[in-house]
Amino acid sequence: MATAGTSARRARLQSTDLLVAAIALVVALRLTAPDLLSRPAVQAWSTVFVAVCLQALPFLVLGVLLSAAIGTLVPPSFFTRVLPSRPALAVPVAGISGLALPGCECASVPVAGSLVRRGVTPAAALAFLLSAPAVNPVVLVATAVAFPGDPEMVAARFLASLLVALVMGWLWTLLGRSDWIRLPEQAPGPERGRTATFLDSMRHDLLHAGGFLVVGGLTAATLNVVVPRAWLDTVADSPVLAVLVLAGLAVVLAICSEADAFVAAGLTSFSLTARLAFLVVGPAVDVKLIALQAGTFGRRFAVRFAPVTFLVAVTTAVAVGAVLL
Amino acid sequence: MQRLTRDLLLVLLGGVAVRVAWGEEHLAYVRPGFGPLLLVAGAVVFLLGVAGVLTAPGRDDDAAGEQQDAGPSVGGHGAGAHGHGDAGPRIGWLLLLPVAVLVVVAPPALGAYTAARQAAPPAPPAAAGSRIAPDDPGTDHVTLPLLSYWFASQEQGTLDGRIVRLVGFVTPREGGGWYVSRIRISCCAADAAAISVVVDAPRGDLPADQWVEVVGTAADPVPDPTGRFLEPVVRAVSVTRVPEPVPAYEG
Repeated sequence: MATAGTSARRARLQSTDLLVAAIALVVALRLTAPDLLSRPAVQAWSTVFVAVCLQALPFLVLGVLLSAAIGTLVPPSFFTRVLPSRPALAVPVAGISGLALPGCECASVPVAGSLVRRGVTPAAALAFLLSAPAVNPVVLVATAVAFPGDPEMVAARFLASLLVALVMGWLWTLLGRSDWIRLPEQAPGPERGRTATFLDSMRHDLLHAGGFLVVGGLTAATLNVVVPRAWLDTVADSPVLAVLVLAGLAVVLAICSEADAFVAAGLTSFSLTARLAFLVVGPAVDVKLIALQAGTFGRRFAVRFAPVTFLVAVTTAVAVGAVLL
Repeated sequence: MQRLTRDLLLVLLGGVAVRVAWGEEHLAYVRPGFGPLLLVAGAVVFLLGVAGVLTAPGRDDDAAGEQQDAGPSVGGHGAGAHGHGDAGPRIGWLLLLPVAVLVVVAPPALGAYTAARQAAPPAPPAAAGSRIAPDDPGTDHVTLPLLSYWFASQEQGTLDGRIVRLVGFVTPREGGGWYVSRIRISCCAADAAAISVVVDAPRGDLPADQWVEVVGTAADPVPDPTGRFLEPVVRAVSVTRVPEPVPAYEG
């Protein structure tokens, strides 16, 4: 908030002042413009925005907790012992271990960030990042419940999402450059005890990841209210367009991976392959994730990783859909 | 961002989450079973913030410590990575937004605005072959979720001779008439799907979003305003205003 030249003391005063000013502004808005806030569109937007934030909060806390634990409690040597030293082999191990983190994508980004910080090869961390929200048991059960008439959907989702994670991990070992990833500095304070460092890193990460989550929530709520569902049905008849539109929709709607199957099941006018693309793209690339990834790994990373993941996810979904569905 | 601001932000966020999860407020945003999870998460965030505020005086960048010794620890990271490397990242300010929206707007459950913009038939139910339950005790009608009514009305004869009671809010229908609607959520309000049933009865002065109880019999489905699918119809015998149910969402 303060310019770099101001003294630390000025900056301190300003940041608490800003907090007070922001609260005052909110109260003033309530008093001066109650009509604006009670319009249906504003209310629907607010409901969706708050819903995305609240729904993600428990998973974010879980992710931050795990990531702080990895960062402060687990010794770095643990990962070098567990993971194969060759990245090409570490990728599938990390991808499969995504099965063990029951949560949605908000939890996996901070965890992947702390894995890289702990010396895990980025390719393996990225494979984990992509597979954890898509292939964990909770998500697979939700998919089975949402598609009672199409049990092959579960297998297709599992296979396609795991493939995307592996392909992206291997692609990174071939083409990735370490200077694309710029991890933010950890909360300082090396001299304090383990508990204090653990708690402080949780606080820091919560603010950090939470802030980016809000960016994603803002985007998702806006598109949710602005894009009418009705026009979707007009494109469902073209097989190519249907896949692209649902893949794009998965990116902008940013629905939690534990719920997206129910939304996909509702898009009955679309082909199963198009809906599979929706389920495979959503947990791998969406506006909320892009914001979180930009925050955790840096912008240079996000602008490369997200589009490539999108392409790989769409291609894989179409290929798997052609074989299984 | 300084430590105190950061920790106060966490107190605010956690406090609001706990308050929302404790009462019925969260039912407007997430599915009912999610409340306890939200409560725990909110409590963790709240306590993290409180503990940070309480232990602050002992911290290295406390005001008193800084005045005596502005050297290594504070100046060190304060100059190089200002606004990023200190206690809280700048982006964290955005956490005030959900807090502010919850406190100031306190948005209600999604209603007619969302239902009117979402024209698509619902997905088939998990268990096929709908059997309609016996009448509600002591009455001559059966209360049905809108989704059950939707699918029952598509099967010939399922609703013959039955009087049904549907509860939902009023949604104006494009091309005349009105619906009784209900929103279904499977995870949170971002995945809302509306179920609407055409009511064959004058709307009178019922405003959009007014919750009503419609008692009536099944009638033949009609094409939806875009002509792509058939919408179920209920021929109303009585339409009564009722308070909003808790939770407002179905399913």
